[in-house]
Amino acid sequence: MWLCLAAITFCAPAMADTSYPLKAHEAPDFALHAIAGGNVRLSEHRGDVVILSFWGSRCTPCRAQLEALNRTLATYRSAGLQVYGINVDDDQTRAIAYAHGESVTFPLLLDPQKAVSRSYQVDNLPMTLLIDRNGVIRNVTRDHNAKSEELFLQQLRALLNE
Amino acid sequence: MQYVFEHRKASLLRAWSRLATAAVFSICACVTAPAVLAQDAAAAPSASAGTSAPAAAVPAPVAAGTAPAPTAAAPSAAGSKAAGPKPAGPKPAATKAAVSKASATAASAATASKASAGTAPLTAEMPGADAASPAGGAAAGTNAAVPANAADAAAQGDAATPPDTRGLDQEVQGLKKDVVDLNRELFVLEEELLFPANTQVAVFVSMDVGDFFALDSVTLKIDQKEVINYLYTPREVEALLKGGVHRLYLGNLKVGKHELVAFFSGKGPNDRDYKRGATLKFEKGIGAKYLELKINDRQRKQQPEFEVKDWE
Repeated sequence: MWLCLAAITFCAPAMADTSYPLKAHEAPDFALHAIAGGNVRLSEHRGDVVILSFWGSRCTPCRAQLEALNRTLATYRSAGLQVYGINVDDDQTRAIAYAHGESVTFPLLLDPQKAVSRSYQVDNLPMTLLIDRNGVIRNVTRDHNAKSEELFLQQLRALLNE
Repeated sequence: MQYVFEHRKASLLRAWSRLATAAVFSICACVTAPAVLAQDAAAAPSASAGTSAPAAAVPAPVAAGTAPAPTAAAPSAAGSKAAGPKPAGPKPAATKAAVSKASATAASAATASKASAGTAPLTAEMPGADAASPAGGAAAGTNAAVPANAADAAAQGDAATPPDTRGLDQEVQGLKKDVVDLNRELFVLEEELLFPANTQVAVFVSMDVGDFFALDSVTLKIDQKEVINYLYTPREVEALLKGGVHRLYLGNLKVGKHELVAFFSGKGPNDRDYKRGATLKFEKGIGAKYLELKINDRQRKQQPEFEVKDWE
């Protein structure tokens, strides 16, 4: 029984990872408005490792995820890391209030028509994608906890070293 | 046209596969080159030992005269047979057979020269072996000294001579160029297929100065139907300000009268949100139609100006 439990524990992240249909595919390009102003286009960041985090203002783990990503960005920015948070709320006022209230240093983007969320097949919040320097989706994380964060950091370091 | 398109696609795929194969070969060459060089370098001193013996020098012209083609390979190969050490590297089975045959007939130089004259590259190596065998003592003497020298020479060869992969590099570069050319032709064919000249309409955006307007997005409607909404990033705006022209839209329209409406959004004077529109009624004839959305600064009014220009 313990063996089965251990197998499920270890296999669950991998199963979740492989079930993402866009993994190992080129990340769909997009251009979105940033809350702080200006527009961001993904294809302009070829050559950088990019983290995309889809989040909602009512989702508590999403906020924890954004804070963790903020710390990660502070550490690895000089190694060529870019982080973008993509808000999927219908009502953007909460997202804008959050953006002005929190000290997140990376751009928070608005996707009011959900076109980008649909193209990335977002099925869970938070959902964090790791895109390599060639614009290929390498990993996806659908949860935020200490274990998944550690695994995510390992994957990120490996990508930055490529 | 469809056939040509498919044909081009197939040739592009073939070129890619050739490029991949060439890349694999170049990598293999880079990996194996040092080992080959070490083997050659180990063989080199034994060749010199072989030619230094007077008896070895004599039959060489015979071999050169009878079989001219393999003479280039003969000195080193013959040397390696005559005095080269066994551990210099693995030899082909046919070469080993030739060596054993040569030692068996070592007593008769005439027989050996006949054998070398009669046949192909491998037998052309025999004169060296035959030449060494009469001077057996000398050959044995050099044999003892060679392994250490060979190891030194191999080390020197590794350090001094880099692997020569220039030919492969050039081939790979040539294939890359072919792929780029094919890709370009494919792109042109694709555009001709999807947007034939008779129905093609292209809309471009250009910007001059930009002191009174910071462009954020352009929404384009043709015949009251939104065809594109494009967000401009700061980099793209910078490129436009440097004189760049952006192709905003490429599509098809039938011959006749049409209406184009463009909405420009951004920051206007005093950093205020600014949204303006521009309209153009145009007639599409036979042939491609090119339209330009120009953003200018009007100094007198301290306002931006939006203009739609029809390129004749």
